Amino acid sequence: MNRVQPQPNRRRQRPTMALLEVQHLRKTYRLGRVEVPVLHGASLAVEEGEFVAILGASGSGKSTMLHLIGGLDRPDRAPKGEPDASVMFDGHAIGSMAARELDRYRAGTVGFVFQFYHLLPELNVLQNVMIAGMVRHGLAFASHRGESRARAESLLGAFGLGSRLRHRPAELSGGERQRVAIARALINEPRLLLADEPTGNLDRKTGDAILDTLAQIRERTRQTVVMVTHDAHVAARADRIVKLEDGRVVAEHSKPLA
Amino acid sequence: MYQLLLTRKYLTSKIMPLLASIAVVLCTAMVLITWSVMGGFLKNLVKSGRTMIGDVAIVWPNVGFPHYDELISMLEADPMIEAACPMIESYGLVHLPGDRNELVVVKGVDGPSFDRVTGFADTLYWKPLAKPLKKDKQQQDWRNRQHPLWEQKQKDGLALEEYDPATDRMVGAAVMGIEVSGYNIREVWGGYTPGIVIVPQPDGTTRDVQVLMFDDTVTLNLLAMDGSGHSVETKTRKLPVANEFQSGLYDIDKQTMIVNLAVIQDMLNMDEARRLDPTIPYDPFAIATDPVTGREIPAPPPPMLIEPARATTVLVRGVDAEADPRILAERCRTIYKAFAAAHDKQVPPIGSIRVSTWEDQNRTLISAVKKETGLVLFIFSFISLTAVILVLAIFWSMVSEKTKDVGVLRSIGAGRLSVAMVWINYGLAIGLIGSLLGGALAYAIVLNINPIHDWMGEALNITIWDPRVYYFVEIPNEVEPDKAVIVMLGGILSSTIGAIIPALRAAYLSPVKALRFE
Ligand SMILES: Nc1ncnc2c1ncn2[C@@H]1O[C@H](COP(=O)(O)OP(=O)(O)OP(=O)(O)O)[C@@H](O)[C@H]1O
Ligand SMILES: [Mg+2]
Repeated sequence: MNRVQPQPNRRRQRPTMALLEVQHLRKTYRLGRVEVPVLHGASLAVEEGEFVAILGASGSGKSTMLHLIGGLDRPDRAPKGEPDASVMFDGHAIGSMAARELDRYRAGTVGFVFQFYHLLPELNVLQNVMIAGMVRHGLAFASHRGESRARAESLLGAFGLGSRLRHRPAELSGGERQRVAIARALINEPRLLLADEPTGNLDRKTGDAILDTLAQIRERTRQTVVMVTHDAHVAARADRIVKLEDGRVVAEHSKPLA
Repeated sequence: MYQLLLTRKYLTSKIMPLLASIAVVLCTAMVLITWSVMGGFLKNLVKSGRTMIGDVAIVWPNVGFPHYDELISMLEADPMIEAACPMIESYGLVHLPGDRNELVVVKGVDGPSFDRVTGFADTLYWKPLAKPLKKDKQQQDWRNRQHPLWEQKQKDGLALEEYDPATDRMVGAAVMGIEVSGYNIREVWGGYTPGIVIVPQPDGTTRDVQVLMFDDTVTLNLLAMDGSGHSVETKTRKLPVANEFQSGLYDIDKQTMIVNLAVIQDMLNMDEARRLDPTIPYDPFAIATDPVTGREIPAPPPPMLIEPARATTVLVRGVDAEADPRILAERCRTIYKAFAAAHDKQVPPIGSIRVSTWEDQNRTLISAVKKETGLVLFIFSFISLTAVILVLAIFWSMVSEKTKDVGVLRSIGAGRLSVAMVWINYGLAIGLIGSLLGGALAYAIVLNINPIHDWMGEALNITIWDPRVYYFVEIPNEVEPDKAVIVMLGGILSSTIGAIIPALRAAYLSPVKALRFE
């Protein structure tokens, strides 16, 4: 169990700034003529090592916000006279990154966990985890193969999947699949783990087990986590909860709601 | 790195790629087979059109020109020229057994020299066969029956002569195109059998008579002309048929009759002859005084001219059959120029003589072949288009099915083009496998197309290529390597393009949309 390596202690470039600073996020979806405004001016700051839960009703824009933070999507520009949206990660503006830099950001700096696991059905468990390493290292993967494999095996072992390495995702339960997805998100030692309703598709018991897994990781590595959920019970596991309503972050509770 | 892993997994864990590969195999094979067979067919057609006409013809129609022997020696002295021969071309009406008349192109030739130029001997039909035709399983071919007649026919056909017991001499004979008479029945196995006609008898009954054209006689009617081209009279001659020929081109075999050159020269007044000099007035009733006796006698004719034999055409065969015939024609023109200079006023000047290549003479055939090739290519482009669209459709659905995977890959940091590469590899692999197998399949089928066709005929009773209809006995069975390469590259290319389009579409979808894709 000790084989999960602790996060290397990265020095913050700008000590005054939080690891992640999100400001004035705006996003409107357009379906033909119909505009669906989702976010208007959501802001959030996350310190290194924090576990933040974003709590909001279904359709409140939680996933959208997470996608913007993870560089999967870009925020809208602000209307005239209002401050522009910005996602600053460790002092770097995600918004001004070129496509390649953004790819590298997603590959090495953040790790995603989705509600529906999103594993690749043709690959076995081990390959599903290692593929993130392959994508990150590209042609240089050959020289990282051993290390990457050892890390994948140790993560999967820590999640109780050591005997299922050759299984296909279809042969696993939902909770097991989600653990594979978490292992994939962690293989490149991301500084930020983004979890989108990681328990949303699981029963309470299995969901709790997943949250235990997250807690176990955090205990060892002080992994920074941003998790979105509509479930107050789930959110309660975080250090801090922010509420998303009407496209804005409306309330913060540094202590979990009961 | 990861692309190879995914490509391999996608290829091996689904039925779709197998179907796509089969589609590519079948498309490649189909296009290559059709192209090879059609191409071979057209090639045969042109090749057949080339028999009987040599590479270059020097022609002065109707009247012909004298001293052709000299021209032929001059031509044959040239290193570019293999052989040359005289010919007279004319039109005639031939009277066939059974009281039928056919309009024919008459070619008066000297058999052996004509053979040297055109390979005439090979086209003679009635001759002993070294081995039976491949399709003649039941040995129905008359030529397989051991009979001294066949050797005699072969000899007579080549010499264009036949022994006449009445006069105890060899007389000039004809070799008919095998289809001229209509009495030869083309069989399924690719050869001919003499047909049977029903002859009414005086007593009201009928009798079946087998018409052996190759052993019969025909009557040829020609229009003779004088040296200035005026028609003089109709000449009629009964000719023994020494043999029949098959050139491979139906039109030629249907309309051509080859006759001994001497016979035609004689009939058309083109033989060597003593003739009156038209410049000296000649009164056949003039009276002269015998210088010795002093008595009145009919005046002797003025000195006669020896007019040499004439031919309308000299056929030339080049040393190199593959060489451009236009170069050979140019050389013939140069030689003819020297010839004309030596026989000023006696032979047509270089400006009026017609020197044409086999391509010029077969212009209609060649342009028909070209049109047909164009048509075939047009159909191909449609077939290929269908194939490309088929491949595109298959890939489109496969990539669509995997759109979510694209979103996942993007979320873990894969770039657009790098994701697209998964599918491009995929299309390339399917194209490679499909084209190679398709090429091999086409090769195997085309090579064995005749046995396969025979088997189909026997087992399923399907005969597509019926020699009774198509004239060529065998289906062309050659795959040209260039064509194979083009078709296979086409297969690879269309698979790759078929993959690139949906791959780029998926890769350029926003990752969020791709993840939400259902
Ligand atoms: N691509 C899109 N086009 C149009 N509308 C969209 C699109 N994506 C999201 N939306 C809309 O934006 C709103 C917010 O979507 P989002 O997925 O961020 O909500 P959510 O808070 O994650 O909800 P849930 O808890 O159900 O996952 C929803 O009303 C949704 O219908
Ligand atoms: Mg959501």
